[in-house]
Parts: sequence; C-alpha cells; structure tokens
Amino acid sequence: MTELKKAPPVLKLEDVAVAYKVRGGEIEAVQDVSFEINRGETHGIVGESGCGKSTVAWAVVNFLGANGYVKRGSIKFQGKELVGVTGEELRRLRGDQIAMVYQDPMQALNPSMRLGDQMSEVLTVHRGMAQKEAEQRCIEMLERVYMPDAANVMKRFPHQISGGQQQRVVIATALLNNPALLLMDEPTTALDVTVEAAVLDLIADLRREFDTAIMYITHNLGVVARVSTRVGVMYAGEMVERATVEEIYKNPRHPYTQGLIRCVPKLGADKAKSVLYPIRGRVPPPNNRPAGCVFGPRCDYVQERCREERPQLREFPNASLVRCHFAEEIVASDWTPSEDIMPPSITGKDVAAETILKVDDLKKYYKVTGSSLKDVIGLGEKRYVKAVENASFELPRGTTLGVVGESGCGKSTLIKTLIGLEDTTSGNAKFLGFDITNEIANRDLSLIQELQMVFQNPDSTMNPSYTVGQQIARPMERFKTVSKEKIREEVIKLLTAMRLGENYYNRLPRQLSGGEKQRVGIARALASHPDLVLCDEPVSALDVSVQAAILNLLLEVQQEFNTTLVFIAHDLSVVRFFSDQVAVMYLGQIMEIGPADAIYAPPYHPYSEALLSAVPIPDPTAKQKHIRLEGNVPSAINPPSGCRFHTRCPRRELLPDGGKICSQESPPWREADDGHRIFCHLPLETLRTFDPVITQLTEGS
Amino acid sequence: MLVKDYMTRHPIMISPETPSAEAQKMMLENDVRHLPVVGDGKRILGLITRDKLRVPPSDLGSLNIWEISRILSDLKVKDMMVKGKDLETVGPNETLEFAAQAMIKNKIGCLPVTEDGIVVGIITEVDLLAELSDLLGGSVSGVRVTIRTPDKVGEYAKITTAIAEKGWGIYASGGVRSPKNPDTWDVIIKVRNAPKDELVAVLQGIEGQEIIDVREVS
Repeated sequence: MTELKKAPPVLKLEDVAVAYKVRGGEIEAVQDVSFEINRGETHGIVGESGCGKSTVAWAVVNFLGANGYVKRGSIKFQGKELVGVTGEELRRLRGDQIAMVYQDPMQALNPSMRLGDQMSEVLTVHRGMAQKEAEQRCIEMLERVYMPDAANVMKRFPHQISGGQQQRVVIATALLNNPALLLMDEPTTALDVTVEAAVLDLIADLRREFDTAIMYITHNLGVVARVSTRVGVMYAGEMVERATVEEIYKNPRHPYTQGLIRCVPKLGADKAKSVLYPIRGRVPPPNNRPAGCVFGPRCDYVQERCREERPQLREFPNASLVRCHFAEEIVASDWTPSEDIMPPSITGKDVAAETILKVDDLKKYYKVTGSSLKDVIGLGEKRYVKAVENASFELPRGTTLGVVGESGCGKSTLIKTLIGLEDTTSGNAKFLGFDITNEIANRDLSLIQELQMVFQNPDSTMNPSYTVGQQIARPMERFKTVSKEKIREEVIKLLTAMRLGENYYNRLPRQLSGGEKQRVGIARALASHPDLVLCDEPVSALDVSVQAAILNLLLEVQQEFNTTLVFIAHDLSVVRFFSDQVAVMYLGQIMEIGPADAIYAPPYHPYSEALLSAVPIPDPTAKQKHIRLEGNVPSAINPPSGCRFHTRCPRRELLPDGGKICSQESPPWREADDGHRIFCHLPLETLRTFDPVITQLTEGS
Repeated sequence: MLVKDYMTRHPIMISPETPSAEAQKMMLENDVRHLPVVGDGKRILGLITRDKLRVPPSDLGSLNIWEISRILSDLKVKDMMVKGKDLETVGPNETLEFAAQAMIKNKIGCLPVTEDGIVVGIITEVDLLAELSDLLGGSVSGVRVTIRTPDKVGEYAKITTAIAEKGWGIYASGGVRSPKNPDTWDVIIKVRNAPKDELVAVLQGIEGQEIIDVREVS
C-alpha cells in the first residue's frame, strides 16, 4: 500500500521535566524525557519501579496531584500544547481523545454500579447519546474485546466477573469514544499469563483496527517485546535509551538496558547452563541522584567522565538514541560480571539423594456453607471447594520443585497444607518419614523447625516494629538451634550471607527496600536450618534486577545448606530456570509433573502447552505457537467431570467422539521416561507429536 | 475500498472558540491543510481550511494597522469556518468513488468522515490519489500494459485467461472507457514476474484487442 507522507505524531514530548513540591523544596521525578508516538504505534516504556514511568503518563493527562507539575518542556497532543491546560478543556480531552487503562481494573470500576451503567455513562455524558443507543454501543464494544455473553455482562457488577474480564471492560470503556491516544500503565501485570496473552492479542488487534496511538508502560521485558513497535528505557527519571523493539533486544547499547536483559531468565534456560546477572545497587531516590550519569554508580564501565558530565541523548546510525558517553565502545558480549554479583556456580546433584518429602494422594477440601435456611441448620447438601485433589509427588533432598498454574489452581493451598497452616482432608504426606498431615499447632517443635516458608509479600509477614535482627533471631531463640550468646553472631552471619551486612541488624522493615525485605524474609526462613523451605511466589513482587539477585541467593543457599525447596511462581521462565522438577497444576489437580526440561518440551500436557504458548518472551524474534484457552477457569466448587481441563482443552478433538471420554472419565497417568508423568487421555504417542511451542530462540547473548 | 480503509483516523481537530491565528499556526506546525471544528464529544461543527483563513488584502485596504491587528486578534475559528449546508461530510462505510464524486462536484479537497455527527476521520484528495496509485499497483515493480478492447462482454476474461494460462499473476488492474473514444475500453493491467516480451506476445495473440502502451515499471 502507498505510504503517505508521515503524519504529525499524536503525542510528542520534548525535554519534559516533572517536579513534585515537597517539604524543603522540589523533587524532579522526571528529567528531560522526549519521545513521540505516531498513529497506530505502540510505544513501550520499561524500567524498574521508581524510574518515573507512570509519572510521565500522568503528566500527559495532567494527573500529577496537587503538588506535582510539569516544570520544563512541552507535551504536544495532536499539535496542541497540553502543559497548562486545565478545567473544561482538560476534561474534554480526557473524555474524547485520551483514555487510560491502569494496572488494577477493580480500581477503575465503580463496585457499586452495574457495568452497563458505568460504561454507557461515557457516551451519555461526553456525547450526549441516548441511554438505549449508548447501551447498544457498549454491547458492540464488549463484543469487540471478545467478551463472552456481552449483553449479560452489562447487567453484572464488577465483582461478578473475573479479573481478565474486568480488564477487558476497562479497555472497552476506554475505547468507546475512539480515543486518539491510549495510555496503558501495566494493564496486564495483575493478570495470569493465559489472560495476559489474550489481553495483549486484543491490544494488538485494536491498535490496528482503530489506529490508536498507545503508550504502554510495563516492567516486563517479555510483554514489551510482544506489543511494542518502539521502546524507551527509563532509569531514575531519565530516558536512557530509545530504539525499535528489535534493536533494543538484539543490540542494546546502554549498560542499563544490557543489564536488564541479563537479569531475565530466557524461557528454556536452566540454572546449570546459564546464569542470571543482577544489576548491583539500586535505583537512587529522586532527591539523591548522583552527579554526572545517573546510572554511573551501578555501571560496570563507569569512568571519570561519567561522574562529572551528564551524558546527552545521542543518536546512533540505526536511529536509536542512547544516553551514554561510551556507548560506541561498550560491547555487550565482552561483558564479564564483577566480583560482587558473581552468581553461584552450580555443582551436579547427587542423583541417589534420599527422598525428603513424599506426598501421596493429598486432598484439601474447604467446606462451603450456603446461605439458605437448610444450610444454616445443617440439613443442606454439603459442598466443598476442592482446592487440592490427589496430589502425589516425591522430592529428593537438595532439589527444587517448581509449581506453576493460573491463579486459583491450588498452588498456595498445596504448600499451606504441607507446612500445616491448613489441615489435610485426606491422603498422606511424609516428611523425613514423619507424618505432616496435621495442623501446625499439633506438630512437634523439631518438625516445625525443619519446615519453613518464604512468603510472597515480605511487607505483610514482617512485624513492622521489630528490628531485622530481632526478627531473624526469633526462630533461633524459639527452636534453640543456637546458644543464647551466639545468636547475634549467627544472625550477622546470615545477614552477610544475604549480602546485607551487619549494619542492617538494627534497622526496621520500613527502612528497607522491597528486595532487602525479601532477603530478610529468606534469612528468617533459614535461621532454624530447615531441611525444606517452601517459597510462595518469593520474587513476583520484585523488579527484575532484584529478582535475579534473590534467585541467585536462593541458589547459593541451596548449594551451601543442601536445602530442599518448593518454589511457586507464575512466571514460567523463572520456574524453568530455578527448578529441577516442575509440577503444572490446574483446578487443584496436578496435570503434569516431571524434570524441568521435560515439561518444556514435547510431550506436553495440552494445558502446559497452552501455558507455554502464552508466556511473553523477551525476544521479539522468537516464534511461539498461538494457543489461547477459551473461557475462564471453572469454579472449584463444581469442577468439570472427568478431566478437569476438558471444558477448555484445545486438544480434545484428537480423541474419538470429540473427546467424549474426557468429560466422563478421569484420565490415567501417562508415564513418559524419567519420572515425567502426564495426566491425560491422549496417549503419549499423540502427545509426542506436538510441535515445540517455542522455536527460534536466539541462543546465548 | 471504503472510506474507512483510506481515511486518516484521529485527525487533528480544533474547537470553534479558538482564535483563527492559533488555527493558522496549528496547520503550519503540523503540516496539515484542514482542521475539522468540533464541539463536545467530537461533534462536527464545521471545517477550517487554509483557503478559508486567507484574508484578501483588498479587504484590509481601508483599515489602518491598528484596526487590522485588532480585527485579526478578535477573529475566531467559528467566524471563518465552513459550516451549515456548505459543510460536506461522508460516512466511513461509503465507497471511495462516492467520496470522490462529492469532492469533484463541490470542488473541495477534503471531507470530514462522520458517524452520527461524530468525527471519526478525514479523507482528502491525497488519500484518494493513494487509492488510485494502489489500484494500479503503483508501489510494486512489474510490466504495465494498456490494452484497447472493443466494448463487448468477455473481452476482459480473454486477457485474464491468457495470462493465467501462462502461470503469471495480475497484481493490479483497472478499466475505463477510452478517453475521446466511447466505443472502446482501455484496460490497464500490471503483471508481476513476467518477461515483457513474452507477455506482449501472449497479449498480441488475442483477436480484436490492441496494445497501446507497454512499459516496465520498477
């Protein structure tokens, strides 16, 4: 098709600086950010938290709060200056031309209004459309975003639909007025990979269809690779690199971009063959940025000039812009890690290790009480949420079991049952030969000592008024693993092992960053020298560079103490990297379990295959199979008969009668080699014929 | 080939209360020639063009420089825009030839595209030229042949059959009644991956038709 002369960009930022007025002066949260977005283009913005990504988006719509303002520079939208626009004109712009989608759909939706009412409001208020017509438009738009049963969804309240559907409603609402610019701030971060994949497909479709310019903010390098055409990397309030998406991944020029890419495990990489290199240090707070290059203190190539002179954004022949004095001289492939971030070396495991944990047919049901009178007096039919069904596995000492699955699949319940926060409904679980099916209150102290847990959110598991030292010392005192005089010494030893140092002993949790808190959480779990540590999403809430550091730390701990780990995560690349064995769960049922490399290659369970095809890969050239699951995860109160996955299984058709057997009988365990088991009616020979999900992964780099 | 496929979505728009000087500046800075004038909810009110902003010097002859500057600074977009029944618009689901007809008839260079009175895009003569160029395969290389055929049913089929038999593909084609000769038709085709001489030989073999122009376009 004929390319028309380039139209003016929809959004153009020039040297924008955003400042917040605070006590004792001003803080420039964002400095000298420039970029432009054209029609039908998605511009990704990545960086760690606290780098000013969201502030840029807020500045565009003048949503900076009472104390924030655009200090310098200009923001032009469709050729109009936005800086300083207020009142009626701003209201009109936000309603008619610019729309926003934020991370948490529940915060964008009014919980007390029916979805139809809040959606149609956009049209009745901004366009003065009649209610009937507006509703019709809303239904059409919901169908556009592939919402099943759109007309009915209009009558529901936000809590009555799932998270992925909520986000679709928010996106549909944002698109109702056909905006020229869509600001998306981590729109898929709170969603499961399968839902995320569907939402990302949707965004790509809509961009093409509506020619909308999209500014896409995320910390996930995989997501950016999938949706963006160009990417800007932000660090400490500055844009340090801007280029096309292919260029950023193939040929990152700024040391920070290179560091970010080294932090993320590639899907298919494992701990024996590859290593993660965290970026040392952390993002400086905006009121304490270093002179010269902001990345200087964390950069491996730092020189005298970097400390004195602030680099400018310079253009390179391939049209990428880099803010670095020495970008031409830096060759990413020649990089060697410095001493302090050198990851642990992994030595081979003793194959004949003893079995430390043996779980057999473990079940955990939660009783559900209905609200009818019959239920209240106890005559009603007893109903159960079958959170974990027939879980069986064995875990040799010193290995890691990764557990993956969508939210609500029973991952967390499984480990809560193991540690004793929940009792077991039926089945056996033996830890070093001791029975651990009872609740923690009935367990022997020595047993509790051997089983410890690291939680997802270190904030809510640490007592805010106890110092770090006290918190780590507590298990030592309680289990009397160390004599009283030696506790302090031991705590400091642990802190050092966590790379925190003695000066952290007297700090309070609020004085720590997220990554540091998680280190303390791990130190506390290890304080009693446990044999088995259960980790519930320990790195999900952390930035990639911190995530890499924590993963390395856990690996090191495992090497040193020969600890056994059960590791829950929803990030399949992390699980693949970290685990020796992987279990894939769906609706409380383990669908596939086996050695990590076997799970990620055929034969696949159809569910694992779908999960893998949904993972965003931080490599725009990788080819991935396109499998999207239909519908939602069914309710665990009333799971589908037969195979629990049959309602969404894309491979059912391969069986005779369109997979009639799947809905009638529970599938058998198919034993592939090497302890790899698949819970499926499809015979192994058929499962083996599936093509690998991911091809063309660029090696190394 | 509908208006919605070729229009520019999300055009730059302006509100009626904006000073005309501002509108002139916006057009200049963004290198556009037309601005739809919209009210709340992108409802169309008018259209402002570079032509409309051109104030003939004769109108200013009797005024002194102070009056000129005062009058200019008071001028608003709503005072100068095309509005009411003079304003031509088109729907996104109309055909391109319909839009072209409207533009030819009124001798105008642009049509705001509206749906229920809401601006969804803009289509200009440049967009229509882009369509014309695409229609004739302007952006690809190949052999472009113009054939004059009698005004009879089945003549076009003869051409396509002859080319298909050779295993070549027609990338683009168009047909018009020959200019100044209403009894014949001129068919223009663009064939890719075909040697020019062979193609000419094949087409010359068709009875009653005449090749009037052949050129290799790269």
